[in-house]
Amino acid sequence: MDITRREFLKYTAASSAFMAIGGPLAFAASKDQTVDHWVKGVCRFCGTGCGVMVGVKNKKVVTVKGDPNNHNAGFLCLKGALMTPIIYAKERITEPLIRKNGKLVPATWDEALNLTASKFKEAIKKYGPTSVAYYGSGQALTEETYLASKIFKAGLKCNNVEGNPRLCMASAVGGYVTTYGKDEPCGSYDDINAATCFFIIGSNTSECHPIIFKKIAARKQADPNVKVIVVDPRKTNTARIADIHVSFKPGTDLAILNAMAYVIIEEELDNYRFHSKYVNFMDNQKNKRTFEDYKKFLEDYTPEKVEKISGVPAETIRKIAKIFAESSATMSLWTMGINQRIRGVWANNLISNLHLLTGHIGKPGATPFSLTGQPNACGGVRDTGGLSHLLPAGRLIKKREHRNEMEELWGLPKDSLNPKPGYHTVALFKALGEGKIKALLILCTNPAQSLPNVNKYRKAMARKDNFIALIECFRDAETVKFADVVFPAAFWCEREGVYGCSERRYSLIGKAIDPPGKCRPTVNILVDLAVRMGVDPKLVPFKNSADVWDEWRKVARPTPYNFWGITRERLRKESGIRWPCPTEDHPGTRIRYVRGEDPNIPKDYKHKYFFYGKPDGKAVIWFRPYKGPAEAPDKDYPFVLTTGRVIDHWHTGTMTMKVPELRRSFPNAYVEINEKDAKKMGIQNGDRVLLETRRDKMVFPARVSDVCRPGLVFVPWFDVNLMINKLTKDAFDPGSKQPEFKICAVRIKKV
Amino acid sequence: MKLGFLGATEGGRIGKWPIIILAGMVIAVVAFLTYINVAFPRVKCEYAKHLKSPDTASDCYACHLKATPKVAQDWYESKHGVMLVKCFVCHGQPDGKGSVPYAVNPDVNTTCRKCHDPSIKKMEKKYGLKLECNSCHPFHQNSIHHKAYVKPVAKRKI
Repeated sequence: MDITRREFLKYTAASSAFMAIGGPLAFAASKDQTVDHWVKGVCRFCGTGCGVMVGVKNKKVVTVKGDPNNHNAGFLCLKGALMTPIIYAKERITEPLIRKNGKLVPATWDEALNLTASKFKEAIKKYGPTSVAYYGSGQALTEETYLASKIFKAGLKCNNVEGNPRLCMASAVGGYVTTYGKDEPCGSYDDINAATCFFIIGSNTSECHPIIFKKIAARKQADPNVKVIVVDPRKTNTARIADIHVSFKPGTDLAILNAMAYVIIEEELDNYRFHSKYVNFMDNQKNKRTFEDYKKFLEDYTPEKVEKISGVPAETIRKIAKIFAESSATMSLWTMGINQRIRGVWANNLISNLHLLTGHIGKPGATPFSLTGQPNACGGVRDTGGLSHLLPAGRLIKKREHRNEMEELWGLPKDSLNPKPGYHTVALFKALGEGKIKALLILCTNPAQSLPNVNKYRKAMARKDNFIALIECFRDAETVKFADVVFPAAFWCEREGVYGCSERRYSLIGKAIDPPGKCRPTVNILVDLAVRMGVDPKLVPFKNSADVWDEWRKVARPTPYNFWGITRERLRKESGIRWPCPTEDHPGTRIRYVRGEDPNIPKDYKHKYFFYGKPDGKAVIWFRPYKGPAEAPDKDYPFVLTTGRVIDHWHTGTMTMKVPELRRSFPNAYVEINEKDAKKMGIQNGDRVLLETRRDKMVFPARVSDVCRPGLVFVPWFDVNLMINKLTKDAFDPGSKQPEFKICAVRIKKV
Repeated sequence: MKLGFLGATEGGRIGKWPIIILAGMVIAVVAFLTYINVAFPRVKCEYAKHLKSPDTASDCYACHLKATPKVAQDWYESKHGVMLVKCFVCHGQPDGKGSVPYAVNPDVNTTCRKCHDPSIKKMEKKYGLKLECNSCHPFHQNSIHHKAYVKPVAKRKI
């Protein structure tokens, strides 16, 4: 009998426990979780991208633990620590399904693939290549998104390649590109350990990016002089470690950010040497302006004027602006509160303005840093060009030289790519409703729950004359109801692939176990489907995701998105590498746009900073005026409705609802109401409250607390039975096309 | 040769008294264990007795704030409380139907190591294997705002 020392000790402990209390504890302690081997991976949930070690025993995943070598240093949040049951959920789809007489029935792979291919071919033949579309996900592997984008853009000459990052990160992309010329943050998580001031706006970091919050809290604990400013209309758990929590009228943050810039200049806390050398001032019409013009522009945003707009005392605005500028290294963090807005790009610009004005950029701890919501949105989709206006590695469809470059790399005839960008997400589903899209392939996402004003788009998906193929793992995902064909995909650690997180770090998810039933890796499904659709097999010569990764490295190599040094072998050995990484011995890049740090800048470059995305190497301070939300509260709908996550659930709950602990922690959605509002309306905890917007109405149980400010109500969006997106508004940012999930007008009534 | 053990006689026959004593001991042990099982039921959390709906079994904090306010408050102020590492992550579900085994004292290997493996390894290297982290690092009292390790035992040198 083989007993390791640890097992022996455990049995000894178990038997002494048995002696002591007669059995009950012995049962729990003997639930053996020793493992045969550990496989390195990345967490399946948020954009923090924590390294995970998957424990395998007898070819089954038995437990997970944090990867000590990745940025999370072994720590996991509660979702990450409880991931195992999701893999073995009884709702897993294990064979292809085809809808026959309104019901999904099992089919063979050949039947499902041939049917899908014939529907796509038929649509393209009858209505042209723009009548088909792909809707992907920030949870698909980098290789899957790159491949799908290539199949549609190069193979089918169709630019209708979209993905849910449009709902989540598009405004951050717009912000970075307009300010710095290139997408993706310039800093990294390392900055958290060096920052002396954290400016957190529009992010409930604690519940949505728990491990990043842990790093911030640890930093704050290590040095009590570190200041944390949380700007959020909700007093969330993130505000627990804040020195100052600023609550403001939802939608007025653009005015507050401009007022902070005003104070910084008024108090002479700006870094004149930095912004006179490295920054251009530009107005909204893209005309070059001067610093003096900027001062004049900001006169509309004195703290006193902004106090009237935002409800934040002028004194508080002055205080936070001073802390921001006077600290030795300020790091801004933001997510959906800034991005999911009709002026999300502007809000992103305004945060960067503060950093460029004060020179809090490109130094350890000083950086603007957008957090991303999904495990591979920042990486997989933004970098590989998985959106309708992009080509891989930051290239744009509308630029001829970029198209020509890609045609050469992909071995296509010159000028053969479709020069017209495709539909963005909201337009795509609108076109689906108008019958302009005949066939749609959806990968790894759940639009029937996650789109704003979702009733409208559910109707579009329910149309009888369109064909929807879905690559999905769980049969209870809402979108399955609308699918004509469902392909069963290998989940998370059942295939190998790469995820890229918020800080430009790419890590490999190793294959730990075999997929159940007839499930196949998505890369193989896509290749098989493409060939049957008539795509030239030379375009998709891939046997597995490693082949796709090698091509992606080649495609990215000539650009500042340099992945050449991030080889598969390195990814297998190392726990994540940050691009740009031009050679195999390059350690990865912590800080971009700085000489000596960023390998894209020559070592002998004459200046310290070089914003190489812009023609003259200078970043831009934009004059962005204040603009309110698309649907401000009025006398008919006097409250503001906002949505978001709770720590226990992730996105539409298709995964977290499979974990008993997480499901029972938040079994259903609720409406969070301020106690003053609740008192006025006689609402108590647990009362049923009717929420009504101009789109739909729904009844939620109430949670009365001081988290929301008066006039604001919050509903989490994970619950499939109480789908808050039926109430949200689908107005979107004209620049980034990202919808304004975060603000709409609502009236509430106790029922 | 005389075998005194268990009163076996020289002829190999076992006497009456040893059997009675043995039987008495067995009965005593069984009685003791039965008593323990009844007096200290398997599910120590009152939750399982009082609430009919299992829907909110993981919302431990809501009930413990009233039932054991000290423990609830300790957790709330601890690092785990600030980071929202909720009760069920370590303790499982009171009805044992969760994915984590229900335990009042969570097992180091299956639970703590999920996040603290690097530090446990460091401690093992320094002091040898310890089955209890809690004796030096009180789980619920490692506050983020105040001085860490306020429990006096932690200040003692190992």
